Amino acid sequence: MKRISRVIAAALTLALLLALAGCGASDGKTHLTFQIWDVNQRDGMQAMCDAYTAQHPDVEIEVQVTSWSEYWTKLEAAGESNTMPDIFWMHTDQILYYADFGILADLTDLYDGVEPDYYTTHFSDVSIGNASGSDGRLYGVPKDKDNVVLVYNKEMFDAAKVPYPDESWTWDDLTAASQAIYNATGKYGYMAYSDEQLGYWNFVYQKGGYILDENNVYAGYTQPATMEAIRFYVDLQKNDWCPTQTYFAETSPGTAFFSEVGSMFFEGSWNLLSELQNYPDMVGKWDIAPLPACPDPVEGDGRATISNGLCYATAAAGKNLEVVKDVLRFFGSEEGQRIQGESGAAIPAYLGLEDSWTVSFKQFDYLIDVDVCYDQFETCVKYINNASRRKWKSTVADQMVKVYNGADLDESLAYMQQIADSYVTAE
Amino acid sequence: MNNKLSKAARQEENWGWLMVAPTIIGLLVLNLWPFVQTVYTSFCEHLGFGHYKFIGLDNFVRMFQNAEFWRATWNTILFCILTVPVGLFLSLLVAMLLNAKIKFKGGFRTIFFLPMVCAPAAVTMVWRWIFNTEYGILNQALGAKIGWVTDPKFVMISCAIVAIWSNIGYDAVLLLAGLQNIPKTLYEANSIDGAGKVKQFFTITLPMVSPTLFVVMIMRLMSAVKVYDLIYMMVEDTNPAVTSVQSLMYLFYRSSFVAGERGYGSAIVIWTVLLIGLVTVIQFYGQKKWVNYDV
Amino acid sequence: MKKTSLETARRRNTALTYFFLILGAVIMIFPFVWMILTSSKTVTESMAIPPTILPAQIMLDNFVDAVKSLPFAKLYINTGLMILFRVLCAVAFSSMAGYAFAKLNFRGKGLLFGIVLVQMSLPSQIFIIPQYQMVAKLGMANTIFALVFPGIVSAFGVFFLRQTYMGIPNEVGEAAYLDGCNQWQTFYKVMFPLTGTSVAALTIFTAVFAYSDLMWPLVVNSDLNMMTLSSGLATLRGQFSTNFPVLMAGSLLAMLPMVVLYLIFQRQFIEGIASTGGK
Repeated sequence: MKRISRVIAAALTLALLLALAGCGASDGKTHLTFQIWDVNQRDGMQAMCDAYTAQHPDVEIEVQVTSWSEYWTKLEAAGESNTMPDIFWMHTDQILYYADFGILADLTDLYDGVEPDYYTTHFSDVSIGNASGSDGRLYGVPKDKDNVVLVYNKEMFDAAKVPYPDESWTWDDLTAASQAIYNATGKYGYMAYSDEQLGYWNFVYQKGGYILDENNVYAGYTQPATMEAIRFYVDLQKNDWCPTQTYFAETSPGTAFFSEVGSMFFEGSWNLLSELQNYPDMVGKWDIAPLPACPDPVEGDGRATISNGLCYATAAAGKNLEVVKDVLRFFGSEEGQRIQGESGAAIPAYLGLEDSWTVSFKQFDYLIDVDVCYDQFETCVKYINNASRRKWKSTVADQMVKVYNGADLDESLAYMQQIADSYVTAE
Repeated sequence: MNNKLSKAARQEENWGWLMVAPTIIGLLVLNLWPFVQTVYTSFCEHLGFGHYKFIGLDNFVRMFQNAEFWRATWNTILFCILTVPVGLFLSLLVAMLLNAKIKFKGGFRTIFFLPMVCAPAAVTMVWRWIFNTEYGILNQALGAKIGWVTDPKFVMISCAIVAIWSNIGYDAVLLLAGLQNIPKTLYEANSIDGAGKVKQFFTITLPMVSPTLFVVMIMRLMSAVKVYDLIYMMVEDTNPAVTSVQSLMYLFYRSSFVAGERGYGSAIVIWTVLLIGLVTVIQFYGQKKWVNYDV
Repeated sequence: MKKTSLETARRRNTALTYFFLILGAVIMIFPFVWMILTSSKTVTESMAIPPTILPAQIMLDNFVDAVKSLPFAKLYINTGLMILFRVLCAVAFSSMAGYAFAKLNFRGKGLLFGIVLVQMSLPSQIFIIPQYQMVAKLGMANTIFALVFPGIVSAFGVFFLRQTYMGIPNEVGEAAYLDGCNQWQTFYKVMFPLTGTSVAALTIFTAVFAYSDLMWPLVVNSDLNMMTLSSGLATLRGQFSTNFPVLMAGSLLAMLPMVVLYLIFQRQFIEGIASTGGK
């Protein structure tokens, strides 16, 4: 018995020690934490941090990854108890909520001592927009930029004797090729699944419609062009060559594509590298192309791809604000952005450094056409967002699920319009 | 003498307080205080980052008018109905089979209990794969194309199957212990009377095992009302069948954590806790009718 | 004559018993078999129609992919430490409280025990955000301590051990008291050693539930090196979405230690758990 109680006592002491050990290493260095959500970018972020700490030995940065679904629960909880990580990624969906609430540090003047107009010189308007609060100030240092591309299986195109997609493609070519591949091989054509950024948003802007008007106030779900584009997109699943939404609930289009049961899907540029890594047997069998254009746009030339970008942010009430600002300044510098690009993490937001991202694709036997991603920035549309979207986003998404379940599209869009606009009048 | 006794009593009281202190302090800080906060926030609107505005009963009014909420309540009740009676019946069956004179009893017991020591995260993953409409082995074996986790008609049944499969071994082991406590002489006396097996079951086995059955039932019902993890891992919220299976705690998760409406989410929790209370009360009155405590 | 018909009836019953048991056992074990088979397939193979039952070859690539994405050695250690400390805390604090609630008289006993009962009926999801904020305030996120934190006290443990202590006759304690032991000495020298079986049961119960816990470790520890097996698995799913062969390989690796422990100590596992349902 004595032995047991001694074991317990020893264990509890050990627990206490472990607890205390977490309280802070006293090596005189500034320890910073850096929170991200994408495991695939961990090494790239670490490389960038290492480059900074090599120049500043008195600082240490620890990169932590939380998966997307827990990331925001956690960050908000940390925000209200004032325990946020020193540096963290910010997403366009969330930045207005955080920035408008005064949680994020204003970084507009970050480069004042370095170069006036630093942001406008080195970053595109889209990048700056994605890092700004509702007041137009910058609450993040632009990190990267992305867009949506068409991924296709070359072998299936060969088998169906259909030429590979290129920039001349329209929606008609997309459906025709899908049908031809389905007829020739029995494989799925273009896999159109319920998604905003990687799905119907692109079609809406190609058609000349909009989700939010140019002032980012009123929704456009009931605009004729928007309605037509969404109807076109939803109806794609009525074709034999496209799986239904229930299929996608169990098998993601990526998995279907890389197990060679489908020939095309829309993918974000940020996923391409990890897909090459995760499916080594598929390297060389697939490539990417620009998004097909709308053949009869109501407005514009029929081209569009949604472009988002993340930024690096920090808490306004952070304890190490000065040190953190210096780190952020480095993250936004040419050197920091180049390391990010070359590591393959994402396309740098820094203008002129885009193709540094190509470097990491050269490790594979087959080099996919990454230039498509760079060229598409010319036709890109900034990721859709306003301050109230956070509140109606999930209602709209739920309604889209109902549409795929057979709810009337016109009524659903009217409902979505009404929900989104109800927050405008409320404010 | 009197004085000394009261001193001993006082000492006992101090020891009592001291010994429950760690637990009680822990429960107060870790569980009870958060619950009190939940009660409070159910009357508030969450403005963001822990700032609340008192709005009285609005959350409850909105909740009671919301079809999705009633659907979730019904789903939760349905989940209880599907998993508890069927689960208990199958567990009792397994327990009785294991209680028979057979070889490899230990081996069978080990197999039935196996899901208990497996992480639910792993278990639900393989079940989703088995249930997959297109490539799942179940449909391929049946030659059917049933959307086990995507068809609103089947999704609840599939989740119930996984729940029963996960718990059957645990429940059976508990019930087996109860069965083994029944004195053999009872059966011997009975079989001289020439009573059939079925009659034996209703006159001896069921009454004698009813206390254990009751404990298992309470446990199952309590966790079935609170069900969340299993459904969350089986059915993601992009699944078109989600509304047909979404339980109250799943709805809470989506309201509080995903949509950020913590006031509304808290109101759902209050409702769930009331349901749990109701279940407990009904059970404790109901048990007098059928649980035999003269063992 | 009558005897032989009874004999055949008994044989038939035995045969039926075996039939149902074997059928049940096959249903119980099939998902595990399928997990093992899938883990050795390529993703193309896994999605073939008609299905391939056996993989073309025993292939470890999926395991390699899983191990490359997750530091499994660390996950084993973290999970082990979390379980160890949660068990120690649950046993120590629940024994004390269980004994006091069962054997000692003090004012407020009913009310305090009511707190224990209330906790058991609350859904655990509502504690996650407040508890996370406490851990963060202490500066303890991403530590073993954070993993242990919600399990420091165990309402179930108190409830369960109180039952055990109530089953020990009062005379045992009184005898020790007359021998000059104070309440504490009576507890840990005389009474606590008598509860070995129940403590073992609580240990197993706590371990199994700590091991299954998913939401809490996912929220509180985001450093990949501080995750548990369950939360690591969820992260793997985030990375490989519906690539089932890799997910199955990861699942197998995550389940392995607990299943091996179970197979070695299965009698203790099963009997321990069986006693948690006692009246």
